[in-house]
Amino acid sequence: MGIIKVQPKPLSVSERLYIPNVLKGMVVTFGHLVRNLFNIKKLPLISYPEVKRIYSERFRGRHILTTRDDGTTRCVACFMCSTACPAECITIKAGEDERTREKFPVRYEIDLLRCIFCGYCVDACPEDAIYMTRDYEMAIDTRARSVVGLRDLVVPPNFPVGPMGWRPYYGQIEKHGTAGGTGVGQALRQAPFPDEAPPNPDVFRG
Amino acid sequence: MSTLTKFSAIPYTGPAPTNRSPYLPAGVEQIDARALEIGAKIASPDLEHEAGQDMPTFVVERGKIVDALRALRDHQDLQFTLPLDLWGVDYPRRRDVGRFDVMYQLYSLKNNERVRLKVHVREDESVPTSVGVFRGYNWFEREVWDMFGIRFEGHPNLRRILCHEAFQGHALRKDYDPAQRWLLTEKDIAKIIPTIVLPREESDFEQVTLNLGPSHPATHGTLRIVVTLDGETIIGAESEIGYLHRCFEKMSETHTYQQVIPFTDRLNYCSAIINNVGYCMAVEKLLAIEAPPRAQHIRLMLSEFMRIADHIVCIGANLVDMGALTNFWYLFQPREEILGLVESCCGARLLPSYTRIGGLAVDAPSDFLSNAQRLVDKLPKYIDDVDKLVTRNRIFLDRVVGVAPITAADAINFGFTGPCLRACGVPYDVRKAQPYGGYETYDFDVPIAEAGDTNARYLVRMEEMRQSIRIIQQGIDRGLPAGPVIVNDPYVALPPKAKVYNEMESLIYHFKLIMHGIQPPVGEVYFRVEGANGELGFYVVSDGTKNPYRVRVRPPCFPIFEAYSHMIIGQTIPDAIAALGSLNIIAGELDH
Repeated sequence: MGIIKVQPKPLSVSERLYIPNVLKGMVVTFGHLVRNLFNIKKLPLISYPEVKRIYSERFRGRHILTTRDDGTTRCVACFMCSTACPAECITIKAGEDERTREKFPVRYEIDLLRCIFCGYCVDACPEDAIYMTRDYEMAIDTRARSVVGLRDLVVPPNFPVGPMGWRPYYGQIEKHGTAGGTGVGQALRQAPFPDEAPPNPDVFRG
Repeated sequence: MSTLTKFSAIPYTGPAPTNRSPYLPAGVEQIDARALEIGAKIASPDLEHEAGQDMPTFVVERGKIVDALRALRDHQDLQFTLPLDLWGVDYPRRRDVGRFDVMYQLYSLKNNERVRLKVHVREDESVPTSVGVFRGYNWFEREVWDMFGIRFEGHPNLRRILCHEAFQGHALRKDYDPAQRWLLTEKDIAKIIPTIVLPREESDFEQVTLNLGPSHPATHGTLRIVVTLDGETIIGAESEIGYLHRCFEKMSETHTYQQVIPFTDRLNYCSAIINNVGYCMAVEKLLAIEAPPRAQHIRLMLSEFMRIADHIVCIGANLVDMGALTNFWYLFQPREEILGLVESCCGARLLPSYTRIGGLAVDAPSDFLSNAQRLVDKLPKYIDDVDKLVTRNRIFLDRVVGVAPITAADAINFGFTGPCLRACGVPYDVRKAQPYGGYETYDFDVPIAEAGDTNARYLVRMEEMRQSIRIIQQGIDRGLPAGPVIVNDPYVALPPKAKVYNEMESLIYHFKLIMHGIQPPVGEVYFRVEGANGELGFYVVSDGTKNPYRVRVRPPCFPIFEAYSHMIIGQTIPDAIAALGSLNIIAGELDH
């Protein structure tokens, strides 16, 4: 088995002198300064909130509930997400549609202060109904506002793919590359992703 | 639905019926044969062998446990010198031998093997303390007392350790209702006066007792050290922990196997993927499955990236404590990029929850390898910058050489693992000693130093980062193996979404797995990985139901922080701060 010894050698006389060593250190720090001065655009710096960091297309941010083309919520109140949730932050109350006899959520609440953003609800959903977005700005001023209901969660049909994060499948997204994830420099892409294709849940159904 | 109703007291109903046969570890014949050999070597006391366990296991009588531990430690051929773990398990339904099991796990550096001792204890009985054999068991015994209420006879300081003084009951007993809340008021707080360990001749200075922490910029987490000072010299110290206790082990018992994974993120939050991997591999061992090669490859590469990130936090923050702020900035940029890489895989930077039992949540993105390569190309530059600024810097060396040293014998007796043990000259690394997840096929070295002081720990961590880069480079060169990232077993892994939407059978499996969880066979396993701080072990007991019966985590910082108050005696306050940073105590892991 390979073992390396990293025992330090005692300092030599020249290494014990202060001034030359301080200068040696300065060479490193001034090297950084000069390099940064001539490459201001590549500085590892995001001037938030003017420039916002764009996370990858798998980012686990705020949730949304998707809708069918006819405008009804995809969610069928099956309680799979609330069962899978380790933080127990999802509260659902189910109701029945008089006309179609379909189950649907009368109340669907996520307590964002309890939520740990693990994405298990998305994995658990059998109906392609809950996604996570790349929205990470969730500051609130009262505790009551942390509970988001259907009104905040349901998005209209043809909600653009661009802001979507963690979702059940990644069929067409890889062509963008994995976005801002790696490297601060890359994260500075300011333009949001082109909203070309609407979410197509039928991609596997054909 | 109130969130608390689900946690209300559920009386334990005994093992659920399971259609699987009990867990039988691989290679059980060799383990049992070896156990008989060990048992034969120990003449007295009698070690009663328990067959069918994943490591040589013995049941020892309550009164003889100290002798058994001493015999195993001192036997010339065995030398079980490293006390890895001590924990309890509660079986309230068991009438014949007593309700509790107290478990001891020892490791032999000579033979590279482990042994587990079990002591059956009734509710009104106590166990003699083993602090005299292994100093490191001091805190572990306090933890068992706190969590199970098992008394250790003769323990020097049997106080609660993770829960506070006003806490009633013992949290990990099965009949403890986790919905209870206990409020700590000011009058309950015990005053801690450190025992003066260092005898001092009469001096003109008044002795001062001072709190370092729990919220102090130099403690990096909620740690509290009460020190007695004579001038600036520390003559007595006592550490107090538990400020970040979130009952990880109790939470695991009320959640399914899959739901525990996000909780493991929060143990060592600087290198969360290693925790994920450790826990998942423990459950996989119980299920007798193995993650597919592609998943193992990605797990290994991300584990090494996380190890680098963890060492970066440790070194960067340690240097900040000593006034070298620049290094922190230079090091945190690559860390940011490592977390970016993790985020591109699983959508979260710090708390990834990337692994699942049986593999990974999703495949790595298509540009994973090229991004990893870019990062690997950049990383040495950042490490070299710090090297140039600090390693041979006289001011730095004056601060760290000879500060808070610990000898190899003491470190082993306390149960050190990881970089802190290797800095004392003991080349124990789980990745080499008992390789897992493909580490045996990688070429890397284990850095050791001899001094055991703060400088040695710094040097070992610096070299370990370089070795991790070597491992990642090999991983990139080999390329990702083709194939799935999660096992194709509908009782373990969720079926692909395309099938769930289309096929009835997959939908039923999906539903079963979410609602009823994974139900492993009845049994107990211990699995360990090399965490960034040392051996990170998970001990899982299954009773065949969807919730683990018991999850025990062996946090590597726990014995290290225990030794800390001994290491700083006779040092000065600034030295104590420098030493604390170099030990890399992560409060989330320390306090479970």
